[in-house]
Amino acid sequence: MDGNRRYAKKNSVDTSAGHYKGFDKLSETLKWCLDLGIPEVTVYAFSIENFKRSKEEVDALMDLARDKFKSLLDEIDQINEWGVRVHIAGRLSLLPEDLRALVSKAMLATRHNNKLRLNIAYAYTGRDEISRAASHIVDGVKNNELKGQDIDSELVSQTLELTEPELMVRTSGEVRLSDFMLWQVSNTVLYFSDVLWPEFTIWNLLVAIIHFQRYAPPPKEAKYFSGEKQKFFDKLEDQRLKQLEKYVSC
Amino acid sequence: MLSRRLRQCLFILVHWIVNILVAVYNVYYRFRDKKYIAQGDEVTKSDIKLVLEHVPKVTKKLKHLVIQTDRDQHTYSDLARMVIWSLLAGITYVSFYDISGHLKKNEEQLFLEVEKKKKGIPGCIKWQRKPDLNGYTNGLRAHTIVINIFTHEDGLPKVAHCIQQIAEEKVKCTRESSEFTAQELDYVLKLMYPSIPDPDLVLYTGPWCCTHGFLPWQIRLTEFVQLSLNNSVNIDNYLGALYRYNKCDQRFGK
Repeated sequence: MDGNRRYAKKNSVDTSAGHYKGFDKLSETLKWCLDLGIPEVTVYAFSIENFKRSKEEVDALMDLARDKFKSLLDEIDQINEWGVRVHIAGRLSLLPEDLRALVSKAMLATRHNNKLRLNIAYAYTGRDEISRAASHIVDGVKNNELKGQDIDSELVSQTLELTEPELMVRTSGEVRLSDFMLWQVSNTVLYFSDVLWPEFTIWNLLVAIIHFQRYAPPPKEAKYFSGEKQKFFDKLEDQRLKQLEKYVSC
Repeated sequence: MLSRRLRQCLFILVHWIVNILVAVYNVYYRFRDKKYIAQGDEVTKSDIKLVLEHVPKVTKKLKHLVIQTDRDQHTYSDLARMVIWSLLAGITYVSFYDISGHLKKNEEQLFLEVEKKKKGIPGCIKWQRKPDLNGYTNGLRAHTIVINIFTHEDGLPKVAHCIQQIAEEKVKCTRESSEFTAQELDYVLKLMYPSIPDPDLVLYTGPWCCTHGFLPWQIRLTEFVQLSLNNSVNIDNYLGALYRYNKCDQRFGK
């Protein structure tokens, strides 16, 4: 979702107006994805590196997130009716306490929905996600839930928060990953578009999808894991849920 | 909702139209590219002149260039020419990402092809994995280029192996809080790779872009630029790609 600031500059409005416009585009795009029957959408909203931006901009972005998650919780019945599951992927411990409680609440309230899973990468980088997964695996071995020789790239993939995407769209003419889903994109069709995110239309999305349909590599077969590994993944999921409940009650 | 049959018809129709448009474009592209077929695969004097003329205009630093390659797409000569152009352009590291695993097994062949084309061009080429192939630098100021070949195994499997080594306590990775930070893991991962800077630019050929599992840890800020649509390699599209990397609007080509 690149180009909010450039859009703001182009249209002579302030940066936060650009970010609000970008958010509106996100909800519009989600509606298109729901209509097209896409079951999982992941967006890169805020990188750990973005904390280095000016204090005013970071505060404005946090306020935007607070604002939007509050209204999401207000409209929770509608979200549940659509069947949207919201997941925030990232190092939540870096977020302000109140925002962390809000996003955790949203995740817990929508976790049984299964029509569309919306992953929002917030306080996220790909390297950080790999590092967090590494910690869980190392702990798993320490606690005798896993054996050292169990560790391979499949196990790491399964321990990450985000799953492999089939198509990745990057807007505003940038042609790099910017530390997003580094591990997961090894089989992904990368589609770079020159359009600024707030100006993204359904036609841009459809062109990206047609491009994907032309070149998509054959899908990988689903992996099955041994009972022991499956138990490790289940336990990890459980731990994550407990952590979220803890954040909410804080 | 549209009926299933109607949707299928639409799908076929849309792709049929796209196929025709792409075919027309390809004919145009081939026509435009025709002059290079006659030019052969040597590094000519005019190539050298072009590189020396245009490279100073690429002001963004380019230390590490990666070329994605597949045995069906490029010849050794294509790859060797890109090494020589990069030597002339003053790039320090050139790596190949060998998608099919074929190049790594035939590294000597690439070496011979590079040596053949290098004649008369100053500079030194070092092969990271084969120190015995490395020549001596003539004079102290000669530019040196370091060549690496990476395969699938250097990507996800290597990072997973690193995590395994940490879990089995064969290497030490410090952890300040309950979870590793990227910096902490980076410190250990760096030990597993030859000391190379993170890639600045990946060149790929063909109509679609994919990392194919190339060094996941190192590519966070790498730019992906298309060299050519039809897998051809020539001096114009090489320099054009460097310009695009530099984000110049200035278009290369006559």
